[in-house]
Amino acid sequence: MNIFLHELRSYRKSTFIWSLSLIVLVLLFMSFYPSFSKDAENFTKIMESYPETVRNLIGVNLSSFFTILGFYSFLLTFITLCGAVQSMNLGTSIISKEAREKTADFLLTKPVTRKTVMTAKLLAAFASLVITNVLYLTVASIVTIQVKNVDFNYKVFILLSLTLFFVQLIFLAIGFMVSVLVPKMKSVLPVSLGTVFAFYFLGMFSGTAGEEARRYVSPFKYFDTFYIMKHASYERSFLIAGAVIIMISIITSFIVYTKKDIHTV
Amino acid sequence: MNVIEINNLTKSYGKSRGITDVSFTVEEGEIFGFIGPNGAGKSTTIRTLLSLIYPTSGSAKIFGKDCVQFAPEIKKQIGYLPSEVFYYDNMKVLDLLKYSASFYKKDCSQRIKELAEIMDLDLTKKIDDLSLGNKKKVGIVQGLLHEPKLIILDEPTSGLDPLMQQKFFDLLEEENKKGATIFFSSHILSEVQRLCNRVAIIKEGKIVTVEKIKTLKENNYKKFKIETIDQVETSIFQLPGVTKLEGNGTIISFLFKGNINGVLKRISEINIANLWIEEPDLEEIFLHYYEKEA
Repeated sequence: MNIFLHELRSYRKSTFIWSLSLIVLVLLFMSFYPSFSKDAENFTKIMESYPETVRNLIGVNLSSFFTILGFYSFLLTFITLCGAVQSMNLGTSIISKEAREKTADFLLTKPVTRKTVMTAKLLAAFASLVITNVLYLTVASIVTIQVKNVDFNYKVFILLSLTLFFVQLIFLAIGFMVSVLVPKMKSVLPVSLGTVFAFYFLGMFSGTAGEEARRYVSPFKYFDTFYIMKHASYERSFLIAGAVIIMISIITSFIVYTKKDIHTV
Repeated sequence: MNVIEINNLTKSYGKSRGITDVSFTVEEGEIFGFIGPNGAGKSTTIRTLLSLIYPTSGSAKIFGKDCVQFAPEIKKQIGYLPSEVFYYDNMKVLDLLKYSASFYKKDCSQRIKELAEIMDLDLTKKIDDLSLGNKKKVGIVQGLLHEPKLIILDEPTSGLDPLMQQKFFDLLEEENKKGATIFFSSHILSEVQRLCNRVAIIKEGKIVTVEKIKTLKENNYKKFKIETIDQVETSIFQLPGVTKLEGNGTIISFLFKGNINGVLKRISEINIANLWIEEPDLEEIFLHYYEKEA
């Protein structure tokens, strides 16, 4: 518990900054919606002039784009991208931070098992994400309700917003594993940005090809906003894929880290 | 009772570094020195004891329990001061110490205050703003605040000024009197000589010898240096037991092991101006072991 609280406290600043950034993003973007929806017809014409692949590439789906949820899910692509960077940062720093700041000796000579240390740290990172998502969801809900011109399905809105959380969980777990497997990580940001953007672009191109199987390559494609809007639910196979990635990453990390030699830096 | 018991401990990293077949025991209540130059395997041994790294073969027991299997339980009673101290930079000293104390199920706040006072440590400062010496003090307080039964110190004095070293040694002796066993690694021999009852000398990953400091010194050579008034032939000290005989007419020096009376008789035959007979310090013994093995 003491480790958990200590870690959570150390994430205070980053949790706050990331939450604020996401909130500003959703506030700004959604406040454009009223004027945007007025000019919907003109926009549609412009968009139609683009080839379909380009539209898919930037995530615009004409049939839903001008509904508030469609508009919101367009924004969500960027929100999840940012969120993925946040969670990947958290994940990769869990173990590598101790090595980099050379505090591993301090923590691991205390009367606790490595498993306890890892669990506490992982939970603290998880809590930081939960806080971010609660704050984000609250503000996003309020602003969306404020700017709507017709009623929308709130359940779908929640489902859409929660994709942020799920994508973050996947990247948290991946980051966690990376931090355990990479022997000496000098800096977190290049690793996390690199991984997140690699998956993002992979997702972009696998999305354009429209093949189901290719979507498994990138966690960004696990939650198809169009599908969610249509069915008000997630695709089960992709939920399972996400859960499997998380489980494998975490189990691998635990096994590797409990057997690892902690060297002086 | 053996507090530390190391049996044929081997840790290899690839080919070069590491330790080979290290065995020794540290008894309860001892101050045990562990000396060797940098890279000899001191830290490797200590880190294995703390299960920060795992042995390739062999085993180590602390308080009679395997140090890997029972690591968390054992560590309740261990205070560890690493050779280089790094702590969470943006924490205040007091917060760090409280965090450290929170791992042990007892109230340490009184002890923190006492120790900070002895070591002259400002608890309100941020760790980031501390000098190396002051960080070391944080390390010392952190290692002692839960009144551990076994104190493991890895080159503890670097960065401390002589006055603080003195205070720190007094503190250790006090803890030792209260019953704590101290395991002390160092490459500075004078401090080991001052503090320890027994030492293990390690060289290139292998234990060269484990001895009482007293025996180490007794079993050894005496250093003679004689200044004469008249020119004297150096060869008159060519006696059994004399080695490293050197002279330049009026100053003669040599090492001697054996019955000292023979030498004194020789000395009484000549007209001397001054005479030094010295116990070799640990440093010389230490070098002797290193040269002998080389």
